[in-house]
Amino acid sequence: MSGPTGDKMIRVDMTNQTAEVVDFPDEWKLLGGRALSAKILLAECDPTCDPLGPDNVLVMAPGVISGTAAPTSGRISIGGKSPLTGGIKEANSGGQPGQHLMKLGYRVVIVKGQPADANARYALEVTADEVKVVAADAHKGKWNYALCMDLHGQYPKTASFITCGPAGELRLAGASVATTDQDNRYPARHAARGGLGAVMGAKGLKYVMVDPGRASVRQPADRKGFGELCKTYTKDYLDGPQMFKTGTSSVVPVANMLHTFPYKNRVEGQSPDAQTLDGARIVESFETRGGEMHNCMTGCIVKCSNIVHDAQGEYKTSALEFETLTLLGANCAVASWEDVADMDRLCDDVGLDTVETGAAIAVLMDAGQMEWGDAEGMKKLIAEIPDGTDRGTAIGNGGVATGKFTGHHRVPHAKGQSIPAWDPRPLKATGVTYCTSPMGADHTAGLIVNPGLPPEQFAWESQKVQLVNAVCDSSGFCQFLQPTLDDIRAFYGALYGEEISREAIHDQGWECLEDEWAFNERAGFGQDDDVLADCMGQDPINGQVFDVPADVIAAAKQRMPAQEDLFTVKASG
Amino acid sequence: MPKVIVPPPYRGPTGGRGEIQVEGHTVLECLEAVEKDHAGFLAQIVATDGTVHRFVKLFRNGDQITGDALGEKLAPDDELEVLAAIAGG
Repeated sequence: MSGPTGDKMIRVDMTNQTAEVVDFPDEWKLLGGRALSAKILLAECDPTCDPLGPDNVLVMAPGVISGTAAPTSGRISIGGKSPLTGGIKEANSGGQPGQHLMKLGYRVVIVKGQPADANARYALEVTADEVKVVAADAHKGKWNYALCMDLHGQYPKTASFITCGPAGELRLAGASVATTDQDNRYPARHAARGGLGAVMGAKGLKYVMVDPGRASVRQPADRKGFGELCKTYTKDYLDGPQMFKTGTSSVVPVANMLHTFPYKNRVEGQSPDAQTLDGARIVESFETRGGEMHNCMTGCIVKCSNIVHDAQGEYKTSALEFETLTLLGANCAVASWEDVADMDRLCDDVGLDTVETGAAIAVLMDAGQMEWGDAEGMKKLIAEIPDGTDRGTAIGNGGVATGKFTGHHRVPHAKGQSIPAWDPRPLKATGVTYCTSPMGADHTAGLIVNPGLPPEQFAWESQKVQLVNAVCDSSGFCQFLQPTLDDIRAFYGALYGEEISREAIHDQGWECLEDEWAFNERAGFGQDDDVLADCMGQDPINGQVFDVPADVIAAAKQRMPAQEDLFTVKASG
Repeated sequence: MPKVIVPPPYRGPTGGRGEIQVEGHTVLECLEAVEKDHAGFLAQIVATDGTVHRFVKLFRNGDQITGDALGEKLAPDDELEVLAAIAGG
C-alpha cells in the first residue's frame, strides 16, 4: 500500500532552453500546490532577486490529490517572487493542466533562467514520452484566446495549456497566468493575483502544452477506502445546499447588504447598482441567450463557473465571478453586468488579474482622469494595454503603480496588492489576514465573513482560516468544495495508505506559512509591513474603519494551540 | 423554545451570537423574535415583499425548508438554521 510511485518533476532552464525530468523526492509526497511551491522557492530562489530577472523561479505545482478520482481536486498553484508585492506569491487556478500533469506523474514544473534574447518566445511541451522546450516566436504577442485557437490546431485535442498573454510578455505586474478549461478550449481560468504572468513572460515562456494522451487517473494505495471517500464526499455535497451552484456572482446582494460591495474606489461599501450587477441576472440570461453553469475541470461537482453568452447567443466569457463584478463593476461605478462581462473577457484575453485591473482603474477615476462608470472608456483602456501606452502600462502594473502615475494618494492595498472585494472595515478579521498573509491582500488566503466576531477572536480566526486555506491550496481541492482539514487528511491517508494525524496536517499548514513568511523576511519585509494602506484606517464605510491594534495583528503570526474547530472548519476563499 | 442558528455573515446584528433560543411557533415568529432583541437581523433573511431572500436557505433540524418557508410550524425543541451563500470568486 504505497500509493502513487515513480513521480517525477520537470526542471526547465530558460537560459539554455532545456528541460530535464528528474525524480520527485519521496519525502515530498505529501507536498503539493502552494506548500510545495513555498518549499521550492525558499530553497532555490534568492528572495532579494529581481522578480523579472533570471534568478526568479517560476513554479507550477498541481495539488497532492490532483489527477486522482477525488471530486473537484485538479487545481494547480503557480508560484514565484511577485513583481507586484516583492514577496512570495502563490496564485491558484482550476482548469485542466493540473489534472493532466499529475496523470502523467509530473508533480511540479520548475522554471529558471532567462533567454539572452528578450524578444524570443518559447514553449514547453509535456507528453508521456517527452518533455522539451521549443521555439514559439510565431505566437509572440498573441492574445490568449487567439493563441489557444491556434494551439488547438497545432496539438492533439487531448492537450491543455498554460499561457501567458501580452500583459505578461510586457512584464506588467498585474499580469495573470491562464489555464484552459475542461474542454481544453478557452483560456478562461487564471492564476491571477500577484503578477505571475509577468514572471512567465520575463522568462520568454509563452505557453506550456500538456498532453496526457491516454494516461489514466492516479491510483491510490487504498483503492477501496479512497473510492468510498470519493463516493461519500460527493453524495454529501450533492445532498447538501450546494451554495455555489449559481456561481460566486450570486453573492452580490449578500455582500452589498454587509457593506462589502465597494463603490467608487471603496469610498462606500454599497453600490446603488447591486441589482443590475447581481449574478442572478446572468443566470436569468441563460434562458434566452444560452450559457449555463459548468465545471472548469474534469471531476468537479461544484460547477460554480458560469458560461456567459452575449445578446446574439455567442460565447463571451467564463466565469464571471463576484470579485470581477465588484472590482471592474461597482468599484468603478459601472452598473451593467454585461459591460463587466466584456471587460472580463478582455482581461482574460490580455492576461490580466481582474481584481488588480479594476482596482487600478478605480484609482484612475478617483484621481479624476476618467469618469466614474465610463464602461466604454474602460474597455478601450484595457484593450490599449498591449500597445504599451503610458496609461495602459500604469493600469497593467496595478493599483499602486496607477497611484504613482496619477499622483493620487488613495490606493487601497496591502503589501502593494490591491484589496479584493471583501472589505477589511466591516470584516476586520479578514483585514488581519490581509495584513499578515505572505500574499498581501488576498481573500483566498483566509476569508472570514463574520461582522459580529469579537476582537479577541480576530487573531485565531485569521490564523485558523489561513492554515486551512494553505492546506487546501496545497491539496488540489477547490476552496469552493469547502473541505476541512479532517477531510483532506482522510484523502491523503487513503491515497498513500497511511494514517495522517491531525497534528501532521496542522504542521503542514503551519510549515507552509512559515516558509512563506521566511521568504518575505529575507526579501526585506518586517512587522511594519503588516499593515493596510492608510485610507482603510481613515475613511469609514458604514461607520467603520480598520482599527485592529498592531499586537492583535502580530498575534495572528504566532502559532497557537490547535482548537477542535481547526479541523472541522471549511476552507473559505 | 426553538433555537435559531445564525450563520457567521449574519452575526453583525446579534453581536456575534450564533445560537439564540426564542419564543415562537412558526419560522417567521422565531425570526421576528430574534429581530426584537437584535435589530437588523430580520432584513438579512426576509425581503421587503415578505419573501425569503433567494440567497438565504432555511433548515429545520437539518432538512431544508422549501415553499412557504416562513409559515412552517416549529416545535419547541426544533432547530432553525439559516444559511447564507458566501464565496470569494
